Amino acid sequence: MNGIDVDVHLRRPGFCLDARLHLQGAGVTVILGPSGSGKTTLLRLVAGLEKPDSGHIRVDGETWADRQHGICLPPQRRRVGMVFQDYALFGHLTVAGNIGFGLPRARRAEQVADWLQRLHLTDLAQRYPHQLSGGQRQRVALARALAPEPALLLLDEPFSALDIGLRRHLRDQLLELVAGLNQPVIMVTHDLEETRHLATRIGILVEGRILRLGDADALFDDPGSLAAARVLGWENLLPVQAHEGRRLSGSWGEIHLPSAPATPVRWLGIRPEHVTLAREREGALAATLLRHTRLGALNEWLCQLPGGHPLRLHRPWHETPPAAGSPLWLHLPAAHLRLWRD
Amino acid sequence: MSGLDLTPLWLTLKVAGLTVVILLLVSLPIAWWLAFTRSRFKVAVEACTALPLVLPPTVMGFYLLILFGPEGAAGELWTALTGQPLVFTFAGLVAASCVYSLPFVVQPLQAALETMDRGTVEAAWTLGASRWRTFFIVVVPQIRRGLLTALVLGFAHTLGEFGVVLMVGGNIPGETQVISIAIYEQVELLDYATAHAWSLGLLLFSFVILVLVYGLNRRWHTEMKP
Repeated sequence: MNGIDVDVHLRRPGFCLDARLHLQGAGVTVILGPSGSGKTTLLRLVAGLEKPDSGHIRVDGETWADRQHGICLPPQRRRVGMVFQDYALFGHLTVAGNIGFGLPRARRAEQVADWLQRLHLTDLAQRYPHQLSGGQRQRVALARALAPEPALLLLDEPFSALDIGLRRHLRDQLLELVAGLNQPVIMVTHDLEETRHLATRIGILVEGRILRLGDADALFDDPGSLAAARVLGWENLLPVQAHEGRRLSGSWGEIHLPSAPATPVRWLGIRPEHVTLAREREGALAATLLRHTRLGALNEWLCQLPGGHPLRLHRPWHETPPAAGSPLWLHLPAAHLRLWRD
Repeated sequence: MSGLDLTPLWLTLKVAGLTVVILLLVSLPIAWWLAFTRSRFKVAVEACTALPLVLPPTVMGFYLLILFGPEGAAGELWTALTGQPLVFTFAGLVAASCVYSLPFVVQPLQAALETMDRGTVEAAWTLGASRWRTFFIVVVPQIRRGLLTALVLGFAHTLGEFGVVLMVGGNIPGETQVISIAIYEQVELLDYATAHAWSLGLLLFSFVILVLVYGLNRRWHTEMKP
């Protein structure tokens, strides 16, 4: 009965959430989705700040909500820690006052001191939120949410209020902190970079539905569908117009697979690091180089296939690209092709 | 001047004080609902609470007189409960003042609640704080400027009302004769000296109160920026 089991349905004017999540063990589950996909609403449902129209929420064997049996615990009774997008710190309380807010009086002083130390806030204990930097505020919000030892920690876009320069630093800090926690964490974001760094599991939320839920590395390797691939930042996506046996083709050209796929294929995707330059025309796709962009130690070449389909590939930075407009032959290794039905 | 009867002053302070306390209790839930509701009746309720701002006091007073009268719903209920009439009594005066000053208390509270960081309330809930604890520890400190404004405006407005008081309370010394009515009577009796004393007193009092409120609001503003 351990773990988190969420199956909720909520209808609002112009929006519908129909999400199922089943999570086991600690670690960070990132709910990734474009804005308006219902990420924050899902967190608020779990926290008890919204009531589902139907469905249930169970955490570690405790039923937090079960509409069929008329159960819907208020947030006060859910043992949930939540870090809000803008932190929602109490402006009239000091850092220590904020952290101690959810603690019983008897243990307050001792535990506040402990959390101040754990998050390197001891020197700031008597400051007020408006006297803190964005990063310090985030740490106070985290300490405040974690101090009452919640069964589950919820993070609502915890880095969106910060400068880009600060994000990387805080991401590492959060990673370190979360690694030492026993509680599972659910974080929502639309940021791929954060997801890549923090996620143990990823749930892809599009238009109120969880399209995919799984191990982060596995999902980054194969999103499983076109919609999920788009959310995970895949850009090399080609529509398959004809699929006969081992042969896949479209206006962009054709590819022969080592064996025929079991299910019909409508889309194929490949990561830019796996696209290579072909020595000969045999089995390669004709392309034109449009431009190249320096990405750190890599050069990203943007090419165009017949039919106007863009395709990106990564080359070492020291390799001089041919002039824009030059013809190229590209090889899409079958081992790295991902094939999807929708 | 030496024999200035202070009864209207005490009566006025009693009416205004009681009115403001009752209004705060009544207005907080109304303001909360108006600030956060998504109901389509919001506009209608908002308009109702603002009516006393635009209606001539005589119109308000006339309807209240009918409502509070022995044939009126409120008057009948009050008489059934207490055996006393509601019109031309102290209780009726307080009740009428509550209706008349309602927008002056509801509106500052509503504005303060609307600008409050709603997330802090939800954060308090997720941290296990009950609704009451959240209200006193998280909401009140954030809306204290609105509370103070509501308190003072409600008090000052009740202090200065005339038309409604005259219609519902009449002019009974010691029972319903508040300062504004007393001034009116002194002027009618051509006792300008007494009228001057009351008027100047009211003017200074109102001025001092407003200076204090604005001063305090400014200090709070610079002291705490969430």
